[in-house]
Amino acid sequence: MISYALFYLIAAFILLCSMMVVVSRNPVTSAIFLVTDLFFISALFAKMNAHFLAAIQILLYAGAIVVLFVFVIMLLNLKAEELKGARMTVPEIGVLIVSAIGFVVIAALLGADGATTGGDGRWTDEAITAAGGNTFAVAMRLFVNFVWPFELASVLILLAIVASVVIARKDSLVSSGVGSTAPAQGKGEKGKVAHGTR
Amino acid sequence: MEQLTAQLNEVLGMFGLALWNDAFVQVVATVLKFAVLAVALLQIPPVMVWLERRAPALMQRRRGPNRVGVSLGPIKLRLYGLTQSFADAVKLIFKEEVVPEGAHKAFYHIAPIFGVFPAFLIACAIPYGPPIDVFGYTIPLSIISVDVGFLFIFAISSLAVYGVTLAGYASNNKYSLLGSLRASAQMISYEIPLGLSLIPIVLIYGTLDLNKIVMGQENFWHWGIFTAPVSFVIFFVCMFAETNRAPFDLAEAESELVAGFHTEFNSAKFAAFFLSEYVAMFVLSALCATVFFGGWQNPFISNAALASFVVGILNAPLASFGIALGAASVTNIAALIGIGVLALKAGFFMWMYVWVRWTVPRFRYDQLMDLGWKFMLPLGLANVVGTAFVLAALKF
Amino acid sequence: MVPVEHYMVLATLVFFCGLAGVMFRKNLIMVLMSIELMLNAVNIVFVAASRELADLDGQVMVIFIITVAACEAAVGLAMVIALFRKYGTVNTGFLRMLRG
Repeated sequence: MISYALFYLIAAFILLCSMMVVVSRNPVTSAIFLVTDLFFISALFAKMNAHFLAAIQILLYAGAIVVLFVFVIMLLNLKAEELKGARMTVPEIGVLIVSAIGFVVIAALLGADGATTGGDGRWTDEAITAAGGNTFAVAMRLFVNFVWPFELASVLILLAIVASVVIARKDSLVSSGVGSTAPAQGKGEKGKVAHGTR
Repeated sequence: MEQLTAQLNEVLGMFGLALWNDAFVQVVATVLKFAVLAVALLQIPPVMVWLERRAPALMQRRRGPNRVGVSLGPIKLRLYGLTQSFADAVKLIFKEEVVPEGAHKAFYHIAPIFGVFPAFLIACAIPYGPPIDVFGYTIPLSIISVDVGFLFIFAISSLAVYGVTLAGYASNNKYSLLGSLRASAQMISYEIPLGLSLIPIVLIYGTLDLNKIVMGQENFWHWGIFTAPVSFVIFFVCMFAETNRAPFDLAEAESELVAGFHTEFNSAKFAAFFLSEYVAMFVLSALCATVFFGGWQNPFISNAALASFVVGILNAPLASFGIALGAASVTNIAALIGIGVLALKAGFFMWMYVWVRWTVPRFRYDQLMDLGWKFMLPLGLANVVGTAFVLAALKF
Repeated sequence: MVPVEHYMVLATLVFFCGLAGVMFRKNLIMVLMSIELMLNAVNIVFVAASRELADLDGQVMVIFIITVAACEAAVGLAMVIALFRKYGTVNTGFLRMLRG
């Protein structure tokens, strides 16, 4: 019973934070709600006995990825979005389609008979504890069966580092004007040049 | 009375507990342990503030505050400035709180919480001593015993970045914003070598659990500093950078950005940032002591041996009262000795914090970032690879 | 124990919150944050399924998803910075150069 109550409490907070992420006008507020959302999702993981994932989720997602978001928001000094309700016709149809799909999916899930196929069936909670804990068991799977995806993931991270450094440089091809011209709104560099020389 | 017990049992039964079964005792013990820890952690800033004023004074051949004492009527105790910090604390709490005009309404008030909450949460995960034995129940002396000890600590310490970032963002002040961006960039840059330096420890002791790592350091020559010396060097340097202290305190340097990210925070919020900084220092010192210096273990004598010695001495006079101290008391006294030993070691590192701060000049920001990314990170990676090779070679 | 369908419903709801964010927000960074929300919903599904089927591959998959999400966020934010430098805005209404 406590298990159910805990799940519903955490789930309520997760949904609340997710809605606030999407609805907030200020990007920094959205980012902070995303952090609390990730914190509660991590609590959910810990409840499901995935302690390693709970720690990794906070360490990587809340502690690194969202910090990156917050940095970019602050460096670009993005203000709150203005509410413009005028052009929302196509998205309105989108809302109907998406909510229809959503209802169908949820109804199918709730009406399923819970048949479970596939999977090992070996790693119950007791088996994990007997094997030396959640971290040990996950590490055995990761480094023995999934070692090639692991190495590829590290190469991917390297690629991402190089790519983001190259793209975000001041003299990169993206920001120096190679490509089509476009309406320069706000304080872009083309705008600065167009204001005349000093 | 019996009816009350029955009702209490019924309520507790919903949670899977029962009156005085093991799980219930652990819950009660956790609450009590946290209360004791919170009170103990709150005593650290006053003592540290006193130390930060007296120690540099004596190092710089002056005296520092040594007048404030306690006076009870005709008795005047000169405490050499120890109660100065209490005067400071009282002043901070009673000062008027001035909220800057354009400050973000929500973030201005919750930013200190993002600073204090991670510091206290990490302090819960450190093992303060061997398990104690109360009325037959064995109670471990860390408030949260997570089996992913390290990862939990690093995960929560990476949440401390938000306190700094939001504090600068929420005050409507460009110097605060600059200071907070620099401080948070520094903190996230040095988190990586900090974590990397502890991976060899995990490789050597074979576990992420801090309790087991302390157990693995029973032999003096198995202490972390002997088995992973490079790790200690990296951890020691990154410890300073992570708490924005000592040579890495550019972001809150008094002569530069006013007070950095906490310029616009006064009275209780400033006290909260202050508290979070010192508690973070204490937590990292205790972590360093736990991982590299044996935690609550003594160098050559085990705690249990010391405790039985003490109990042997105490039994003699107490025998005349008819009280005999048994095995449980040995465990409890060993735990007390362990807590004292850890406090001593953590205190040593806190002293190192103060010593280094007043000895070494400050880094420039680009020097700081260069050191973090171009020196500490490759050194940390080389350390992990080297340790792995050495361990693999030793297995043959 | 909580039946796994409850976890799936929770994950679906979070996923649709993220999807709504991607569709309706005009700020590019908000779009990226909503994508992270969708990835987290998928993480919940994987861990719940891993617990239900008593198989640890789901948790390993979550590690990879978090890794890929980190890489994608880094590259996406680098592109946002570059776009902001060139056009001065991150409003998706204006960034329509690839239309057609």
